[in-house]
Amino acid sequence: MLNKLGNSVIFAIGVIVVGFTVFAYSASVNKVTDFVIFCIYVLGFDVLYGHMGRISFGHTLYLGTGAYGAAMCAKYIIPDPFLAIAVGIGAGAAVGIVLGPIAVKTKGAAFALINVAFNQIGYFLVLVALASYTGGEDGVSLTFNSYGFVDFRNVHFLFSFCLASLVAIYYLMHRLYGSAFGAMLLGIKENETRVRFLGYNTSNYKWAAFIISTSVSAFAGALFVINYGFVNPGFMDPARNVEVIFAALIGGPGTEFGAVVGGTAYMVISNYLAKYITRWEMFLGAALLIIAFGFRKGIMGYVRELAEKRTRASATVKLE
Amino acid sequence: MLEVIAYGLTIGGILYIVSIGFSLTFGSMKIVNFAHGFVYAVGAYALYAFLPVAKGNFVIASILAILASLPVSYVIEKFVIRRLYGKSIDYAIIASYAVLLIGVDLIKWIWGASPVPVSDPVRINVSLFSLDIPLYRVIIIGLSFIIFIGLSIFFKKTIVGKIVVAGLADREAVLSLGIDIDKYFAIVFILGSALASLGGILYGPISTVHPYMGFRIVTLCFAVVIVGGMGNLRGTAIASYVLGMVMAVTAWFWGAAADAMIFVVMAVVLIFRPIDL
Repeated sequence: MLNKLGNSVIFAIGVIVVGFTVFAYSASVNKVTDFVIFCIYVLGFDVLYGHMGRISFGHTLYLGTGAYGAAMCAKYIIPDPFLAIAVGIGAGAAVGIVLGPIAVKTKGAAFALINVAFNQIGYFLVLVALASYTGGEDGVSLTFNSYGFVDFRNVHFLFSFCLASLVAIYYLMHRLYGSAFGAMLLGIKENETRVRFLGYNTSNYKWAAFIISTSVSAFAGALFVINYGFVNPGFMDPARNVEVIFAALIGGPGTEFGAVVGGTAYMVISNYLAKYITRWEMFLGAALLIIAFGFRKGIMGYVRELAEKRTRASATVKLE
Repeated sequence: MLEVIAYGLTIGGILYIVSIGFSLTFGSMKIVNFAHGFVYAVGAYALYAFLPVAKGNFVIASILAILASLPVSYVIEKFVIRRLYGKSIDYAIIASYAVLLIGVDLIKWIWGASPVPVSDPVRINVSLFSLDIPLYRVIIIGLSFIIFIGLSIFFKKTIVGKIVVAGLADREAVLSLGIDIDKYFAIVFILGSALASLGGILYGPISTVHPYMGFRIVTLCFAVVIVGGMGNLRGTAIASYVLGMVMAVTAWFWGAAADAMIFVVMAVVLIFRPIDL
């Protein structure tokens, strides 16, 4: 069984668990919990970008849908954290089911912007149209039930729960990309016409990937709400889409570990370096330009390249 | 109701002036040029900066503002879009988005994050069919029609325009005639950017001039392009006025919903339209 899992994924999960735990207890558990949740969000985003070649500039909508789904459940039904998470994921999946068929008709630039347009509608809904339920600009604050040691107000429990969620999503994504479905997504990324020619209905596969992406992003949104104890339109602000794009690009799109590295890198920069960077948007813009012009493989791409060079070098040594 | 129609035509006219460049880039290169929104904002802010210089003369300040935006669009075309185009469309989009981000922050750095006031330069109302509307809006509507006619002539009669129209239809065929199509697209890119800054200049006095105005216009231009068809020049014009009307009518009932309604219309069009974008 262990062999079937593959040594690399066990190793990667080990690095993630040990790394985040050491980081959390040497820096701040609260902050690192945020980092962990953000990594789940990046994993959700990368389903579409890294694996299907569709870059969404409006993914905040799906994060916000999960956040508002969880918050509305806690406020109007019962403040049960698990039900809130389930409702958040369900809301994300529902949005994916409804918007997916429209969005996946497009690709490239049109896909990027159609998500922004949907994001604008969502932002308008929570900020203005449904303000009597969502609290408009102020949002709503929430408290969640606790059962014995299952207490989401306890930072240690919350951190462990989020880390376990990240590991679970990471493993699921690993399995997904190793499956025939993952191969199909890669085929669509490389040449969709050929995949269609082989007789596959690519629309359904793209739709499914879209729903997976929105659900995982919504899961992250629900966890954010539980972590912060409030929700406001900032969770759905279209101006914040750059965060996840930046994270996915800098980590290296198309690898699960790259998504985690990128998510962590972005959160470290925005939490610890933002104090010293007075012009934040300019910094992000300049960094994105550098990525677009000369750092396309991201951190993981370079690490992998280095590793390949070393193995190749040692292989030639053995031959001699 | 006449008032709503006049407002819709004004918004539609501005949408048309701004989207034409966006639509051409989209049609010719399949790139969403986010930086288009930055040029639009530069137009409005440069107007604000040049108004005192021109001693309050709106026309002179506008011309100065358009001239000021030309080097900006030239740099964007030459060093960002052209260099990434053909290598990766994704990265070209990301880079243009990065330019918009940098631009928004530059504007905040120079002029501050809060909106700056630009007042109606004409300040005269005209009576039309027992209706009082500001003359400035009538001028905008007239100007947008003049630009529409001018561009129609440009694309039908001049050699540059004809090459661009041919390039939109079949890029390889034009290239095989030995015409450097990219050069002509660069010319219309600059032309489109100048029109975008003109749109910013015209829209400034009737709305608010704020650093994030570029983000908003990019999504609105996108809706115009989806409804009208990529690189379809007449479609862009019709879609601009139709969506302007949609905005005006929605704003009549519920001001805050105007932008969201545009995107709903766009989504409906996308559902029924079998397009391969």
